[in-house]
Amino acid sequence: MASKFGMAGGIPERRVRPVWDAIDSRQFKNALKLSTTLLSKYPNSSYALALKALILERMGKLEEALSVCINAKELLYKNDLILIDDLTLSTLQIVFQRLDHLDMATSCYEYACGKFPNNLELMMGLFNCYVREYSFVKQQQIAIKMYKIAGEERFLLWAVCSIQLQVFCGNGGEKLLQLAEGLLKKHIASHSLHEPEALSVYISLLEQQAKYGDATEVLSGNLGSLIMIEVDKLRIQGRLLARAGDYGGAADIFQKVLTLCPDDWECFLHYLGCLLEDDCIFPSGTNTPSIHVSTSIDCNHRHLSDDVFDSRISRASEFVEKLKAEAGSDSIRNPDLANLEIERRKIIFGKGSYDKLMEDIILFFSRFGHLACFSADVAVFLQVLPGDKKNQLLEKLAKGIASSATSSKNVLGQHITLFKIRELIGDLFPLPEGDLVGFAVEMTEMYCQNLPLSKDSDVQESMFGEEFLSMTCNVLVQLFWRTKHIGYLLEAIMVLELGMTVRRYVWQYKILLLHLYSYWNALPLAYERYKSLDVKNILLETVSHHILPQMLTSPLLVDTSDLLKGYSRFMDEHFKESADLTFLAYRHRNYSKVIEFVQFKERLQRSSQYLTAKIEGSILNLKRNANSIEEAVSVLESLNFGSDFLDVSNEIQSKKLTFNEDLQLRPWWTPSYDKNYLSGPYESMSNYPRETLQNDVKETESKVTRTIEKRSLLPRMIHLSIQCASSSVKVNSNSDINGFDPKASTELKSLLESYAKILQLPFHDAVELVTSVASGQKPLEVFSPNLIDWMNFAVCLNAWNLNSNGITIPMNWELLCSLLQQSVSSKIKTAKPLVSFPGTDLSILVQLVTEPLTWHGLIIQSCVRSALPSGKKKKKGGGGGGTSDQSNTQLSSSIKNSIVSLNNTIDQVSKWLKEQINKSVDGDIDILLLSISCVDGGPGPGKVVKILENLVSSVDDLEVGERICHAVKSWKAADVARKMVTAQGTALTDFLNVCDSKIKPAPPPTASVRSITLKQRKPSFSFYFPEVFSITSPNSHDPSSSFVVVVESKQSISGFRLCVII
Amino acid sequence: MTTIRRFCCDDLLRFSSVNLDHLTETFNMSFYMTYLARWPDYFHVAEAPGNRVMGYIMGKVEGQGESWHGHVTAVTVAPEFRRQQLAKKLMNLLEDISDKIDKAYFVDLFVRASNTPAIKMYEKLEYVIYRRVLRYYSGEEDGLDMRKALSRDVEKKSIIPLKRPVTPDELEYD
Repeated sequence: MASKFGMAGGIPERRVRPVWDAIDSRQFKNALKLSTTLLSKYPNSSYALALKALILERMGKLEEALSVCINAKELLYKNDLILIDDLTLSTLQIVFQRLDHLDMATSCYEYACGKFPNNLELMMGLFNCYVREYSFVKQQQIAIKMYKIAGEERFLLWAVCSIQLQVFCGNGGEKLLQLAEGLLKKHIASHSLHEPEALSVYISLLEQQAKYGDATEVLSGNLGSLIMIEVDKLRIQGRLLARAGDYGGAADIFQKVLTLCPDDWECFLHYLGCLLEDDCIFPSGTNTPSIHVSTSIDCNHRHLSDDVFDSRISRASEFVEKLKAEAGSDSIRNPDLANLEIERRKIIFGKGSYDKLMEDIILFFSRFGHLACFSADVAVFLQVLPGDKKNQLLEKLAKGIASSATSSKNVLGQHITLFKIRELIGDLFPLPEGDLVGFAVEMTEMYCQNLPLSKDSDVQESMFGEEFLSMTCNVLVQLFWRTKHIGYLLEAIMVLELGMTVRRYVWQYKILLLHLYSYWNALPLAYERYKSLDVKNILLETVSHHILPQMLTSPLLVDTSDLLKGYSRFMDEHFKESADLTFLAYRHRNYSKVIEFVQFKERLQRSSQYLTAKIEGSILNLKRNANSIEEAVSVLESLNFGSDFLDVSNEIQSKKLTFNEDLQLRPWWTPSYDKNYLSGPYESMSNYPRETLQNDVKETESKVTRTIEKRSLLPRMIHLSIQCASSSVKVNSNSDINGFDPKASTELKSLLESYAKILQLPFHDAVELVTSVASGQKPLEVFSPNLIDWMNFAVCLNAWNLNSNGITIPMNWELLCSLLQQSVSSKIKTAKPLVSFPGTDLSILVQLVTEPLTWHGLIIQSCVRSALPSGKKKKKGGGGGGTSDQSNTQLSSSIKNSIVSLNNTIDQVSKWLKEQINKSVDGDIDILLLSISCVDGGPGPGKVVKILENLVSSVDDLEVGERICHAVKSWKAADVARKMVTAQGTALTDFLNVCDSKIKPAPPPTASVRSITLKQRKPSFSFYFPEVFSITSPNSHDPSSSFVVVVESKQSISGFRLCVII
Repeated sequence: MTTIRRFCCDDLLRFSSVNLDHLTETFNMSFYMTYLARWPDYFHVAEAPGNRVMGYIMGKVEGQGESWHGHVTAVTVAPEFRRQQLAKKLMNLLEDISDKIDKAYFVDLFVRASNTPAIKMYEKLEYVIYRRVLRYYSGEEDGLDMRKALSRDVEKKSIIPLKRPVTPDELEYD
């Protein structure tokens, strides 16, 4: 049973200790040796075996570890007299868990609990197993058993949490909550409660059933004393009263809280909300105890009569005045902000005054305008002001700064705030170009002039005026959008790069830069900036969106793969360890965290980005291995031939995806990851684009869902296409073998139908669309913006058509090749030089090569491979005396032509890329620098860079300090330009390498092909190396002859490099 | 203006503007969640209007006998919300919980010996340098163990500075 003193798993501890020590010091070989000795002495000890399994698992010998573990388990079951202690079981559990066999660990504990009923230690172990398996019902049952045996409060709470989990994360109906409540009530009657967390659970249980009155009663009773912090108790009380509809009572309570914590903004909103009976902020029926705080305009207090509204508002105003008086000169901002909120509510109710609100904002500005958070604090109040009032406000604020007699640092802060408010209300959009340039110049000058303020600050500390450069960038990008003059865009990069030179830690600059570089096709540089953000752990979930979408459509296949792997690894690790952490919360009696942890894990599991990463990671893996059909097939095999993803696609609509990306930090011109204003025509915006963010986000979310649904079909479609292509050759090449694969064909057809449906066309219309574009009857533009999806569809459609068993559609190799050729040509035709045309969309071209053309290549390889007689096939064919028929010849020539066409198409891309790459770097740099060379006083870009250059030439170390001076002096505009041009070149070269890997002619036969052995003869034979050589069998007229071609090569002969046509 | 409440898992998805700061470490998940599972009262977040995360504090309570103490593991404030004494508020909260709820003797924290601005701030909050820990940070930089006595340590014995520096393996707790 339980461990005896000095014994470990039934073995004297002194004998086990050396094994533990060896494991702890990671000397696994030694540990294994010691454990073998231990086992020879205790051959019947499950614990000794479990230890051995543990060591084997750590050494990476997983299969062996599992088999030893299973032996230990069997030993445990077999020997009735054997000692079962928690140490043995927990050791087995650890190994089973690491080997992904949670069920076996559970059954060990179940067995032990059956054998030694009422052993709490073992039962806790079993409870833990159920926690790991997320078996909420079983958790509840075993917890109740433990409670009955020990009568301890904690076990009852374990059961209650398990019930709540069934309701919120499982299939349990809400009625179960009543059961939990009953259990707790009974316990309280006889034993009361002793833990604050237990009380929280009890209250949450009542709240979840909308029994707010009961909950309030509990809190006011004796149990309430468990909550030791008074304001915490009051907050709960206020919430319960409000939810029960007792707004008056709730307002009184929140007033008390505010007296104790006058700076609590959320509490003030609750207070005001209750006074005005605004039920918007207290939605009932939510599972979480938090209250939604209204920050938008939708408040619901119009039902109050004028008199009631007035009296409530004056009560609030009086109270705020009192708070203000009590705060005295203390720097708390809540009362000032509270006045703004009161005025805002009055305006919404129709009784407020814009002038009063503006007055209050100006007052607030005079006290706190220098703080970096000021503009965000007042954003919600600016929203209710009409346009002309906003402009008036700006003027008044500007005047306020001019007349203020505060310190230079505070004045600087106020200037920054003023510009931020301009950004916020979109005041800049209607201004003429010259005025915008004026602002950019002014802000850059302010940055330069205020450098001396940071003279003595550490490089790690934020500098005064840092925000000016981000805001200058924002204005310059707007100027670029409006004028399309690349000089402005380059200046935006220049100011940020200068800022980075002065202080390399500013993440705001890095984010802006990475988007600018991405837009300008300098992705390697963008990725470098991203890496310097040191995004790791949970930030991978919230921050990756800045770079991931661009990377997925880029030729940086290795970097993208690293990015995806790192992210997926983080998520998968969390899913593995999450249950253990949940159990930790149970053990430490922090019950509220139990529910929170399980819900959080579910939230991450439903993450759209996680699903995207899984699917795109697999597709990327396929892309990277598609030059060899064998490797591609083995990738597909590892993906269960794409079947698993089909479930994802089918369930996507019912699965509520979560979107955890933090979009707040994105630049204004790309508020969500599939939106970039710069790609569209300039439009004057009356509001700062951020205000439309919510709509953008919703749009993006539904797009992402559709994309996941569509992309998760692709691996399976490719697998089936390969199958169909292969069978078609078998059918054609040998009439004895029934190569037709009806299953693959039927399934592929149905997937193509689903795919077409996601592209919003019925299958037949989709086929017609594809074929009519291929044959030139419709323009390629009809596919926009889903060109890649349509091409993927066409490629798989062709494969299906090869093996469609009589169902004929007007699709064939030639049409497909023409379609692919057309799409590539049209993209190349419209592609412009990257330097002079930022935003040139290279990603489509990259995707054309890495997706449809690659899949098409795989399908060709599949045909070729099937046509190539292998030893195995030869046996099956019984001598292979097939006759040469017409269709075989046709197929051969079709495939051969396809290969030529495919090579030509990719070659076309290569040639274009080479032209771009071969351009002179200095020439490109000159183009860039010319774009910012401004004629004195003339219009256009260049003025901002001029200021930067003046700074470089005039900076004085006495004024700004040695560090800043040295940094500024090291900055050169030409260096920035060179770095970007080089990065563009790197991206193009990467792309060229991708293309070359597909069309690279095989080296001359003497160098790489060691032997070609003709073993048997076959009717017709041609051996095709693009541009290298071609062989025809001399005995092509002899129907009985056949042969096998054996090609040995030092290099991998793959993809389009080697094709054998039979 | 500032709402301080218990930190919850969802806050992990909203704190990027705080954690992108190069001086703020983003730990692995089990680190955060162990703190949440064991010491939820020592993990608080401050929010500004619009539910923006301003900063947070995480800590724990541990020790035996007179070494029973609160520990500040991390305290951080987003650049936007600095110079408003938010760190002080968060520290005071943790001190309060250590003092009143857990009846600890003192609160301690570790800081890089080179991080002068932070040391100055902690000194303002009445922390004293109790001892130097040699090569505490990745075996390179020294750390300073700073302490502040709580009401239970009437004679302030817990903060009498040690005369010699210690090595990391001499530390009582991780």
